[in-house]
Amino acid sequence: MRRTWVALLCGAVLLLVPAVPAAPQGPVVAQFWYAFGGKNREVTEAYIKQFNDSQSKYRIEGAFQGDYFQALAKIRAAAATKTAPAVFHVIGEAIPQLAAAGLFEPLESYVKGPNGTRLDDFLPGQTQHTYFDYLGKPAASLVALPFFRSTPILFYNADLLAQKGVKPPTTWDEMREASAQLTVREGSDVKVYGFEVPIDWWFWLAMLHQAGGTLVTPDGKRAAFRDKGTEALQFWVDLVNRDKTMKRPPGKDYNAWEVTNTDFLNQRAAMIYTSTAFLNHMTQNAKFKLGTAFLPGKVKQAVPTGGTFFVIARDAPTPQKEAGWAFVKWMTDPAQTASLSQATGYMPIRLSAINSPEMLDFFKANPNYKTAIDQLRTAHKFPYTPALIEIQREVIQPHLEAAVLGLKTAGEVMEAAEAKANEILARY
Amino acid sequence: MAPSLALFALVYLYPVAYSAWVSFTEWDLVQPARYVGLANYRALCSSEFFEVLRNTAAYSVGVVLLSQGLGLVLAALLNDRSRVAALFQASIFSSYVVSWVAVSLLWIWLLDPQYGLIAAVLSSVGLRAVDWLGDHRLALLSLVLVTVWKSVGYPMVIYLAALQAIPGDLHEAAALGGAGGWQRFRHVTWPLLTPTTLFLSITLTIASFQGFDVVKIMTQGGPVASTMIYVYYIYEQAFQYFKLGKASAAVVVLFTLILALTALQWWLLRRRVHYAQ
Repeated sequence: MRRTWVALLCGAVLLLVPAVPAAPQGPVVAQFWYAFGGKNREVTEAYIKQFNDSQSKYRIEGAFQGDYFQALAKIRAAAATKTAPAVFHVIGEAIPQLAAAGLFEPLESYVKGPNGTRLDDFLPGQTQHTYFDYLGKPAASLVALPFFRSTPILFYNADLLAQKGVKPPTTWDEMREASAQLTVREGSDVKVYGFEVPIDWWFWLAMLHQAGGTLVTPDGKRAAFRDKGTEALQFWVDLVNRDKTMKRPPGKDYNAWEVTNTDFLNQRAAMIYTSTAFLNHMTQNAKFKLGTAFLPGKVKQAVPTGGTFFVIARDAPTPQKEAGWAFVKWMTDPAQTASLSQATGYMPIRLSAINSPEMLDFFKANPNYKTAIDQLRTAHKFPYTPALIEIQREVIQPHLEAAVLGLKTAGEVMEAAEAKANEILARY
Repeated sequence: MAPSLALFALVYLYPVAYSAWVSFTEWDLVQPARYVGLANYRALCSSEFFEVLRNTAAYSVGVVLLSQGLGLVLAALLNDRSRVAALFQASIFSSYVVSWVAVSLLWIWLLDPQYGLIAAVLSSVGLRAVDWLGDHRLALLSLVLVTVWKSVGYPMVIYLAALQAIPGDLHEAAALGGAGGWQRFRHVTWPLLTPTTLFLSITLTIASFQGFDVVKIMTQGGPVASTMIYVYYIYEQAFQYFKLGKASAAVVVLFTLILALTALQWWLLRRRVHYAQ
């Protein structure tokens, strides 16, 4: 009997809660979900606080949601239950699919509105329209502004390279040779690997383009990565299994990235590919002279860009969307982007920030921070198709490892991947 | 009774029924769900899914046999009321109550082929480091061992209780009749432990079929798909690939599998179960 009463009481309370009106005064509160852990989480939180302190109209509440892919899952789940935050971060590859589902607020009117921002001051290669190749179709409407943006770069242990008289490689052949020279063996054990890189979509994509390939045909109707993608994957297979000069870091997604970074900092790997986003972390923790360079090329030099974009939820109430926009605008302003870049290693996204006297001095003192920005001129675009994220996550990423482990040949992996990619592309 | 039944229906029966419905649709969380009939079940008839079933069966058999066997041995060894036995019982059981995440992280560090304690011990006696989690031939076995390490306290405690419930006069009578230690175990202890063994094999099988945390933290199903076990596969389909329909179909299949397996175990062991009274 008593339990029945408790249950009834609980039910009554639940019914009453939504009926209590929100207090009309005070700032508009909007939620913001982001995907940066560790050091970059602290930086993000500090800037949210700065924004809140800088004005009294809006208050942003930030929430860390795990890595990019965990955050993506939470966003989708939240969207399904109509509880998405007003502002959130997405990776570029996910934009076409989520935009097609109508999740994002078009930003054109905000950009041009009274509290607008100057799109032409954003770095080429960083904005939505320069990130995507619209495959011969008209540009999709603007829904995303860049935030923490990156490219993969080559990090090297300058002390180890100097010891062996090795110069940072600029081509695949030089890379292979340098890895061999830098590898230190003791009997059959490898003490120092010449090279290490996560067996990951991002680096594979860089090498696909370096080999002269593309993901899809120019009209976006068919996959086109089989031959050059095989070449890219085979390069890893050879370094890992034939030369035994490259370490395959275990773990999936960002676990492998962490292993790579740790091995590099512990001087177990002389050269690694990773994101420029780790530059601040590496600089602070390396007990050796840290060097950075462009990724080596094959028939040309090429890199994808990465990192995140800000988007605003279309379903959010208008006042919260306004709060969200004010925050996005402020975070992408030149002053913020300049200091955020110095604190992390992500690229500044505004031309006026890069050319400011403050940043020019900073680059002079810290030339490693310039590598990614200079390398942007070799950046390739991503095809704007809702299939993109599926091709990345399902078709390419989980299968690359099979070739490096010797369970399948690189050719078999890519043949199966291309067939699957064509199946997905045919649906759109 | 009624309120708790309503709560049970709301948080348990309703989601089960809902996921059965979702299994007949194509749904990626952001686009409206679309009815596709049995397409998701057909998609499960793939070599990828059969590999998941194989992995799950191997993991489950390994975990159930090892933890139950080891649990029985430990219970037999520690079956007295001394302080030393109590200390061992408590320390073995303690890992069972520690969170999976903590245990998984601990073992990631211990098993690390370069920086881990086990690698250091192996290399100090001149053996080569083993890549426990990075080698696709060893990774599943490593997860089985970690799971057994963590959960062996549970069968041990249950067996201890069962051992202590066996009336002493039965042993006495057998000893007077000239039965040795092994004979007493084989003909007195073991038959009276069969209800416990039945209970443990059912609960441990169900628990091992639901294994998830250890995979999520330690290997994420890799290398390639060598540690892709059932519930992690469901998670990956649902929250990495956003194929809610296919994931739900796998849920329905799992439900059926566990039900069938439990019935089978029940039937097999019932014929050999001996109750003391």
